[in-house]
Amino acid sequence: MNAAECTAAPDRAARAKQKSPAKIPVKCRRRNRFIPAFLIGAAALAVLGLLYLDIDWLKLASRAPDVGRVFWDLAHLDFSNLDLIASALVETVSIAVLSLLYSLVLGVFFGMLAARNVFHVPALSFLTQSFFTFLRAVPTPVWVLLMLVCLGMGPEAGVAGLCVHTTAFFTKSFAQSFESIPGETLEALEVTGASRLSIFFNAVLPAALSQIVAWAGMRLETNFSECAILGMVGAGGVGFVISNSLQGYDYGTAGTAILLVFLVAYCIERIFVRVKKKFY
Amino acid sequence: MSKRIPLIARDLKRLYTGFLLAAAVLFAVCSVLTQFNVMTLIANGGAFWAFITEDFLPPALPKASRIPGVLSSVVVTLALAMSSTTVAAVLAFFVSLFGSEKVSPFPRLAKAVRGFATFLRNIPALVWAFILFSSLGIGTGVGFVALCVTSFAFMVRAFVETMEDVSQDCVESLQAVGASFPQRVAQAILPSCLSGFLSWFLYCVEVNIRASTIVGMVGGGGVGLTLFSYIKSFQYDVALSIILLIAAMVIVVDQITAKLRRELLK
Repeated sequence: MNAAECTAAPDRAARAKQKSPAKIPVKCRRRNRFIPAFLIGAAALAVLGLLYLDIDWLKLASRAPDVGRVFWDLAHLDFSNLDLIASALVETVSIAVLSLLYSLVLGVFFGMLAARNVFHVPALSFLTQSFFTFLRAVPTPVWVLLMLVCLGMGPEAGVAGLCVHTTAFFTKSFAQSFESIPGETLEALEVTGASRLSIFFNAVLPAALSQIVAWAGMRLETNFSECAILGMVGAGGVGFVISNSLQGYDYGTAGTAILLVFLVAYCIERIFVRVKKKFY
Repeated sequence: MSKRIPLIARDLKRLYTGFLLAAAVLFAVCSVLTQFNVMTLIANGGAFWAFITEDFLPPALPKASRIPGVLSSVVVTLALAMSSTTVAAVLAFFVSLFGSEKVSPFPRLAKAVRGFATFLRNIPALVWAFILFSSLGIGTGVGFVALCVTSFAFMVRAFVETMEDVSQDCVESLQAVGASFPQRVAQAILPSCLSGFLSWFLYCVEVNIRASTIVGMVGGGGVGLTLFSYIKSFQYDVALSIILLIAAMVIVVDQITAKLRRELLK
């Protein structure tokens, strides 16, 4: 887009300077001035960050060949523990799906509270939104760790912990979808004397349904990869198998598990690309 | 007999019906598989509330001697996220040039580059961290590399898509007049895609702030490690104040990036 503007500028300049054989300015004048400043700032911050981190690069580089060795070991897939990996993977997928579905319901409920045009109580939507902004800002594994503490090991902690973050995400995105519904529709229904709840269920929710489905599909991918790593901080599932076998130098099993995680993630991505192409 | 007019387009209706059916079936199957029951969760609600009100609230400050350490661990997390994203962005920019069929000097390789990026991306950052920890040992440097790998792969995909979204006329016309590959990049790709690239870069910074906290938890250093050690030593009230600190950090960074993005896309 910028480039198209660039081509117009030299034309004008060329016409103005037709007589003198001077160079045609090819630089675009209308370029965003902010970008160079931003680039410099980002580079400076990165360099400062690297200096602050004070990483021992030589030590890292000297161990670099080990990475190759580990990958070589990982590539020797070991299928002897396949039943263990498969059951862990099924558990992980189920936790991801369950937390998604529960959060979908919770997200619609809290999204209703957070949307400014449903109940017209600014204090309520402000409170809900700021609370969920806080929940969203804390990474999922932290919630899962806390759930592990109070619910004990098992799928409950995983589902509940993932739900916290997913609900917070859905609340924000659903509230946005609800708020994008034109005010005229709501007003027309209000005039007929419909109650707030029936307006929500008969006008707002159906109109936002396609967006809700799209958000859910997007979130499933994230939830699966989140869920795969949850095991590493102590919850069950395939992440636990991966971290456990890596720490036990059982690279074959770890490699198989990682490969399966990758395949499932890839399949989910492909399915949703397909669905999206078909319906949008 | 009066025929009813459908209120909703047929293909949309099919989508919703399919979605609802899939949701119901998945819900049933997964509930059976994990034996998860909300009722047990609600029945255990008492213990849950007791945990929150007694152990968790109110937030307590860590010991005064520890506070500088906690603050510096926040700076480590921020530095980790910022520097790894920037390094990854620079690398991703050069690689993504080879990932788009229309731009790359070797169009045949484009698919391979994209496939490689997809592979790297679909393995979560924490798995990378574990693989690298087992080969390079534990430390901030390894966390840096793990974050670099995932954000690199993500940005390669995003950059290639940005380049393909932008009209290809410029690249083609430059190619027609015989511009070399670096010239095409500098004159056609950079001016039209740079703001898109930077917007993805900002998104990646946001993601990496969270990811670096998580990678920190398993041994990458930073505020994640601090939080993890407080949780492990059952000091939940101190952990809560660190969670609040993390939330504040993430929210502030999100605000800043949102502001920068508005400036960039002006």
